[in-house]
Amino acid sequence: MNEFLTKIANILEENAVKETDKLKAFAQWDSLAVLSVIAMLDANYGVNLRAADFEPVATVGDLWNLVQSRKRS
Amino acid sequence: MNFTFRRKRISGLLAIVPANERSFVEEMRNFNFPEARSLKLKEVMGYDKHRLVEPGVCVSDLAVFGLEHLFKHGLLQRDEIDALILITQSPDHFMPPTSNIVQGRLGLKHDTLCMDIGQGCAGFVIGLIQAFLLLEQESIRKVVLINADVLSRKTSPKDRNSYPLVGDAASIAIVERDPEDSTIYANLKMDGTRNEALMIPAGGFRMPSTPATAMLEDVGDNNLRARDHLRMDGSAVFNFVQVEVPPMIESLLAFAGVSMDAVDYFLCHQPNRFMLQKLADKMKVPYARMPMNIVEHFGNSSGVTIPMAITFNLATRLKNGHLQVCLAGYGVGLTWSSMLMRLGGLAFCELINYP
Repeated sequence: MNEFLTKIANILEENAVKETDKLKAFAQWDSLAVLSVIAMLDANYGVNLRAADFEPVATVGDLWNLVQSRKRS
Repeated sequence: MNFTFRRKRISGLLAIVPANERSFVEEMRNFNFPEARSLKLKEVMGYDKHRLVEPGVCVSDLAVFGLEHLFKHGLLQRDEIDALILITQSPDHFMPPTSNIVQGRLGLKHDTLCMDIGQGCAGFVIGLIQAFLLLEQESIRKVVLINADVLSRKTSPKDRNSYPLVGDAASIAIVERDPEDSTIYANLKMDGTRNEALMIPAGGFRMPSTPATAMLEDVGDNNLRARDHLRMDGSAVFNFVQVEVPPMIESLLAFAGVSMDAVDYFLCHQPNRFMLQKLADKMKVPYARMPMNIVEHFGNSSGVTIPMAITFNLATRLKNGHLQVCLAGYGVGLTWSSMLMRLGGLAFCELINYP
């Protein structure tokens, strides 16, 4: 989880992010950030998401949960 | 599905790019995004310069210009062309085929098989498969394979999703029989259920162009485009490439009985540098063996980017020697295809400007 938070923080160019942070609240959360997250999840977690999969995702924690559920399926 | 072709070769390769060059930095003010984020996109994706046709320039103009160049320099004779295959998603007209237009403009003999194929980013590999099949006929000794697109004309300048990466170009490959006992391996997959991932929605018979389809709309992501414009689901395409392309190439090499290390170069379609880096990472191929510099210099001209990667990076080596290469095209359709061959001894391998 910590490693995941660090990777998300790097993509968003923040010093740190928390599970409760809302993705859309970050200035850097745009299509490029989405693609960077998709690439990071593919390379590090073996999970392949599409931009449409982010629609129900509000917070950093929601994203973590989505990744965990995709890893199990 | 797998293919095997014996005693076939590419004997010459020419790429033609419009002389008109534009830069990302000069165009980014057209995008509805903060400049800093556009510059970040430029850095990550590897956007910089791209080549775009002037208004009115068509696929047949680039093709005729390239073939005239070959005739003028004695690299190809007008009367030795038995088949002319043209791969494009941006034909001059719905009818007639653009290959027939090229034949007519050049005054080629009537004994010429002209054929258009509507394919995009995998088009160069699909065209080679078709060329090799035609060469099974005794009457066909030399196939001219033209791959050309001018899709900038169908891309919205206010769409940061597509415009910075699009490029126009054409290529001409001469395909003929190989006097040596060589084998070329290829494979191919298609998935038409994902046909909307890369699409120009309007302008065909399903949705004819009207003033309404020409209206620019914000589709919810700050990009403005019309239904007459090219539309790309970037993240779906990224995912498709990461999921489908590495197993396709692995399967091709297994089919051919060749190891990854025995391949000198992986010459992949060039969507942008970012996707190629991720692809190389996933395949564990060093970046030096997968050229990824075409989009930053010329833009992504769909299937033409493979011959461009070859002529731009490997011209001298392929004129003087041979390399074991793996080609891979993937995109519109969706279609993905790869091919393993010994490429070299080329009579010509160059990139020229139009005009």
